[in-house]
Formats: sequence, structure tokens, C-alpha cells
Amino acid sequence: MRHPLLPFEPLIWLLFGAGIMVGTMLMTGWLLVVGVAAPLGMVPADALAFERAHALGSSLVGRLVLLAIVALPLWKGAHHTRHLVIDTFGADRDAIVAPLLYLVAAAGSLLAIVAVLRIPA
Amino acid sequence: MARAAHPHAMKPNAPERTRTAPPVMPAEFPLAGRYRTYTIFGATGLLYLLMGFVALRVVWALGSGEAAWLEIQRQLASPGYLAFHAVCLAAVIFVGVRFFRLFPKAQPAKIGPVKPPPRPILHAMLYAAWIAVAGGLALVLAGGIF
Repeated sequence: MRHPLLPFEPLIWLLFGAGIMVGTMLMTGWLLVVGVAAPLGMVPADALAFERAHALGSSLVGRLVLLAIVALPLWKGAHHTRHLVIDTFGADRDAIVAPLLYLVAAAGSLLAIVAVLRIPA
Repeated sequence: MARAAHPHAMKPNAPERTRTAPPVMPAEFPLAGRYRTYTIFGATGLLYLLMGFVALRVVWALGSGEAAWLEIQRQLASPGYLAFHAVCLAAVIFVGVRFFRLFPKAQPAKIGPVKPPPRPILHAMLYAAWIAVAGGLALVLAGGIF
């Protein structure tokens, strides 16, 4: 049987490739500061103050970077999780698991677009 | 003098199904030997999904105003989030090191008329880009520049 996602494979691989390459590069910096250093007080307190974060995040470049930080890892995550499921449990359920995972990534990406657009200018 | 072999000397008399060995799961799968790294690499997908949605929460809070922003900052400082992000940071570095090592090996010999750079150069370029992007973003977020 023809896999239902076959026509979308080039797009999926493009987003996966961007996720593992660009997503990994961006996530390293994001996690380092937003996830670890700032909560531990290792960066100046005003670095992530609302006014500064808003100024950075409301610019065009800021919105695009935030969109990439949210959306690209979702596609890397969905694709690798799909293959982890295939490796572990076999490919029998891939026609259900794969669309489900990519729908999660697509929904997250749409929400990411909404999230960056709703940051007030 | 030996004759040249006939090209169809080994052809079966009648067409038949190609016989293949039944698939067998390797004894070392999933967490022993060389499969351990492979499985962990695949399992980082789950962490990437989670960290993407956590980042979505942070960006959503930024668009919701100062109170929501302060609240998400307070939550990110909790031990649970800190431990999660420390694991994610280790996972991201692991993925970067492994993927950027594999990437040069996966390049075709030629892309149209262009040959890709030699593998060590490509590897070094990926690390330079990683350091520039991650370091640049970290500097901006930490208030070092802008």
C-alpha cells in the first residue's frame, strides 16, 4: 500500500533538515541563556526584563528567530520520534503514528506563527 | 582454454520469488553496543518536541504582557524546569556533535557542477556556524550585545 505521507516527504525532510541543523544551533543559545543561565542568575537581571525582551521579540528579525526556535525543533522532534517508533515497534502502525506526529509539529508551528504575531509592536 | 562465463549461467529455469532472510532484530538493539548512541540520538526527538512546546509557552507569555512574562520567568527558575533544560542542553549538544560529524559524510560527490568542500573543511564550517549562531544568540539574550 502506498504510504499516505509519500507526496509530503520532500517537505517533511526539508523541515526535519532545517530542524536538526538550524534548530540545534539556535536552541543551544536559547537553552543556555533562557533555560539555564538566566534562571540561575548568571546573566544580568535586566537582560530578560520584559521591556528588553519585548523590544527584541517584537522586531522583524526577533519574530523570525523566535518562530524558528519554536517551530524547527518540533519537526526534528516529530521525524526522529517517528523513526524511533518504527525502530522499536515496527512499521505496522507508521501510517497512523507518522501523520499524528507531523500534525502535532504542524499545529505547534501554526501556534508559533500566532505567538510571534501577537507580540505587540 | 577456459571459455568466458555465460552471463545467464546462474539463472533459474523458471521465474520464482526472490528469497530473502526473515528480518531479525539485532541482539544489541536498542541500548547495547553501537545501538546505544543510535537509539539515544533518535530519542532526542521526544526532547525536541517538548522543548519546542516549552519555547512556545515562553513566546506566548511574551505576547501576553508583563505579568505573564514574569510568571513564566518564575516557572523557568523552578528545579523541574532547570533540570529539564539542563538535560535538553546536553541533548542538543549531543545532536549537534553527532549530526555535524555525519553531515560531511552524507554529501554527494558533486552537486551539479560543484564539488562540496573536503570533509574536514565542511566539518569545521559547521562548527564555526554553530558557534556563531548559538554564541551570537546567547550574547544577545544575555544582554552582551544590543
